[in-house]
Amino acid sequence: MKANIFIRLSQHLAAGLLMVFFLGCEREIEDLELATYSSNPEVFIDGFSPGLNYAAFGGSVPTAFDVDNSVTWNNSAASMRFEVPNANDPRGSFAGGVFYSEFPRDLSGFNALTFWAKASQAATIGEIGFGNDLGENKYVVSISGLTLSTGWKKYIIPIPDPSRLTAERGMFWLAAGNIDGNGFTFWVDEVKFEKLGTIAHPKFAILNGEDQVETSFIGISKVISGLRSEFNMPTGVYQAISIAPAYFDFQSSDPSIATIDENGRITVTGGPGNTTIRAHVGDVEAEGSLTIQSIGEFENAPIPTHDPESVISIFSDHYENVPVDYYNGYWEPWQTTVSADFEVNGDHILHYLDFNFVGIQFANPTVDASSMTHLHLNIYLPNPLNDNAQFQVELVDFGADVAGAMTTTISVNEAQQWLTLELPLSGFSGLTSRSNLAQIIFVDVNGNIPSFYADNIYFFDDGGDPPPPPPPPDYIPTEPAPTPTHAPGNVISIYSDHYSNVPVDYFNGFWEPWQTTGSAEFDIDGDNILYYFDFNFVGIEFANPTVDATSMTHLHVHIYLPNPLSSNAQFQVELVDFGADVAGALATTITAGQSQQWISLSLPLDNFSGLTSRANLAQIIFVDVDGNIPSFFADNIYFYSN
Amino acid sequence: MKSIYNFKIIHISVIVIMFMTAFFGCERDDFQKLPERNWQLVWSDEFEGNAGQLPDPTKWTFDIGTGQDGWGNQELQSYTNNPENVSLDGEGNLVITAIQSGNSFTSARIKTQGLFSQQYGRFEARLKTPYGPGLWPAFWLLGDNIETVGWPQCGEIDIMELRGQEPHVIHGSIHGPGYSGGNPVSKGYTLINDRFDNDFNIFAIEWDEDKIDFFVNDFLYQRIENTDTPGEWVFDQPFFILLNVAVGGNYVGFPTSETPFPQRMVIDYVKVFKAAD
Repeated sequence: MKANIFIRLSQHLAAGLLMVFFLGCEREIEDLELATYSSNPEVFIDGFSPGLNYAAFGGSVPTAFDVDNSVTWNNSAASMRFEVPNANDPRGSFAGGVFYSEFPRDLSGFNALTFWAKASQAATIGEIGFGNDLGENKYVVSISGLTLSTGWKKYIIPIPDPSRLTAERGMFWLAAGNIDGNGFTFWVDEVKFEKLGTIAHPKFAILNGEDQVETSFIGISKVISGLRSEFNMPTGVYQAISIAPAYFDFQSSDPSIATIDENGRITVTGGPGNTTIRAHVGDVEAEGSLTIQSIGEFENAPIPTHDPESVISIFSDHYENVPVDYYNGYWEPWQTTVSADFEVNGDHILHYLDFNFVGIQFANPTVDASSMTHLHLNIYLPNPLNDNAQFQVELVDFGADVAGAMTTTISVNEAQQWLTLELPLSGFSGLTSRSNLAQIIFVDVNGNIPSFYADNIYFFDDGGDPPPPPPPPDYIPTEPAPTPTHAPGNVISIYSDHYSNVPVDYFNGFWEPWQTTGSAEFDIDGDNILYYFDFNFVGIEFANPTVDATSMTHLHVHIYLPNPLSSNAQFQVELVDFGADVAGALATTITAGQSQQWISLSLPLDNFSGLTSRANLAQIIFVDVDGNIPSFFADNIYFYSN
Repeated sequence: MKSIYNFKIIHISVIVIMFMTAFFGCERDDFQKLPERNWQLVWSDEFEGNAGQLPDPTKWTFDIGTGQDGWGNQELQSYTNNPENVSLDGEGNLVITAIQSGNSFTSARIKTQGLFSQQYGRFEARLKTPYGPGLWPAFWLLGDNIETVGWPQCGEIDIMELRGQEPHVIHGSIHGPGYSGGNPVSKGYTLINDRFDNDFNIFAIEWDEDKIDFFVNDFLYQRIENTDTPGEWVFDQPFFILLNVAVGGNYVGFPTSETPFPQRMVIDYVKVFKAAD
């Protein structure tokens, strides 16, 4: 029984009230003959106007509305009374319904619905307006959150464009819920349409008044958002009203690129080319516009190439996906992101709009990605970027209740194209477990990514060996590195427990896209040492401030290669000077017999060929030249002079 | 007693006419039987010129800054002579714009002091008002001798003042010794189902040695005779013209967070006539 319950209460109107209307001085007989429908302005004066019916909303208390003969405005014969139920009322959760006319009316000669109202206590009516006809609701209008006081007051709801309402059946509607669980009573009287000269200066907007630009493709369809309307009221202040899209006249400057229908649905039909969507209501131009830069046929995300055997897929048409709870959690209260996912040429694309952050959850069951090495995703930013963006991905493990984040910089010239992100799972700092992954969260760090498309979200194992951490326990050094002997006054230390260290930005830059190296830190008998695994190269940066090593002669590093070496290895160290923008490299041969022991490297700075300045040193980079050093430990990284 | 009697007659006829307007608004009132006058144009500004131009410096000068105690009324705005606050619109109008930036406001006040003044005659402006709580536009006159005798001894004639929170009501008032500030001789004129910011309206006074008549669109809504003032009648000397848009102040109250800005007073013309016989 969710159907609306109809309460038929139509009554006839006093003839005298009609007289006033027909005596209106501006009307000519010819005008009246043009009207197809009654232009009776009255909805409820002292009873139902002719043809008026009431239908309560499903879920509301069906008897919440009644005609009241004792509490009325201006001691008139009757008013409308609404009893808002308490929370948990078994009859329904709110008061609300529609007063509709059996026969359409021509309301084009009016510009507002007015009524008097008061409540048993200061109260807010959730929605109240007109244009709800129990059907298409094409021209529905409402004020959200209308506040009532305990004294009678006149309220005005403007008609955005009266010329639309030549055959309207929705005379009045409202919906009101309880206040902090408590019901209340309110009265409405003298409900009628009027032509007011005291409401003025209407303002309308699409896209909340912003001029937006976005790239799109043939076949993409979406409804324009951010429709707003406000009128200046007799008190000189603006009142916002919610209005249906059909009040807007939308235009596309080039319909061969994109069309927009009367309900505000945009469909991209051609391209390449641009079109701009604008709107007006009556003769008032709406603020805001949407320029669509169509690139023509939809460009699919790159087809992923990873072996399905090494993939756990969350969202892709190219792999079998695990069960996903949702692709948008609509997390209250801060999330603004909405979804407008679409399908083009059989390829499903996630589309997030009004992006601030959004989460995907796959908790039933969770995903064991402990054997995976990377998270893959394709993203596409359809709006141009004015500045570099920071796109952050967070992974959450429900088993260990830990989370880790990684941020990728998207430069200005990377907008409006598919990007492939392959994020090493070891780079998600703080994600100490990934055996019960359950959420992927995307965050717009700088707030300059209004929307993006996403596709091919999956974990994969890049097949690299040895497998990722933990480090082989047997190979962890049993002794700390030897204590360095250089006098502290002759040392600039980057990483050592024996000297005071300069500020370091990071000990692992996770440099995209080629770096595979992960890192960790170990404590050996109270001495901290760095551990690098999946080693190919890794950079340490200390740019804030840079280091002036002009008076230094050597770079010192203790390294420990835990894996047995089958042949000699080339361990290369590079130094980068940010001031002169120069770099120099020096490789050291590690013989097979030197593995599994601490090696002290003292590298003369003058031997770093190409390093013409060392006044602004900012990076040390370690490189596995021959690809046979899977991992190493490091300690006591410092410059010294002798 | 005669003057009181006359006042009542006018008062009653205004009510009757407004009543009639409400119900038969399509007919122009022909109840206002005023003696035929032959008005001769003496001074005018039609505000013709290029958009962005300041008003004609041979006719207008500026009040600048915040005055003393907000021009004596705790007004919030600072007056400037920047074109963004006061300039021609290129379509034959002068626009005075009140602008909000943060918690401060700029606007403009122009006057003919030292350039033009007149004793008696018809002073008229056609203009569209700004709107919103705390906006206070005015078209008014001050006695030329303000520098020597001070205010209110110099006299003040407010041809049009409006509170932005009541965009359908204007007031016409006179201030003088013993009847100034919050206690002038004053009367409001209310538009029925319309507002003064919707369209241009003509505000005027007709002033002679006996009385000042106040008009909106040539509708007489107030007559103040020289025996009606509770204090000395100080309106037998030349007055100069002022146009301004104030923000806040004793008369209108503070603007609120809901007051829309910027706000514009658009003036089509100002004309001054003298009676020609």
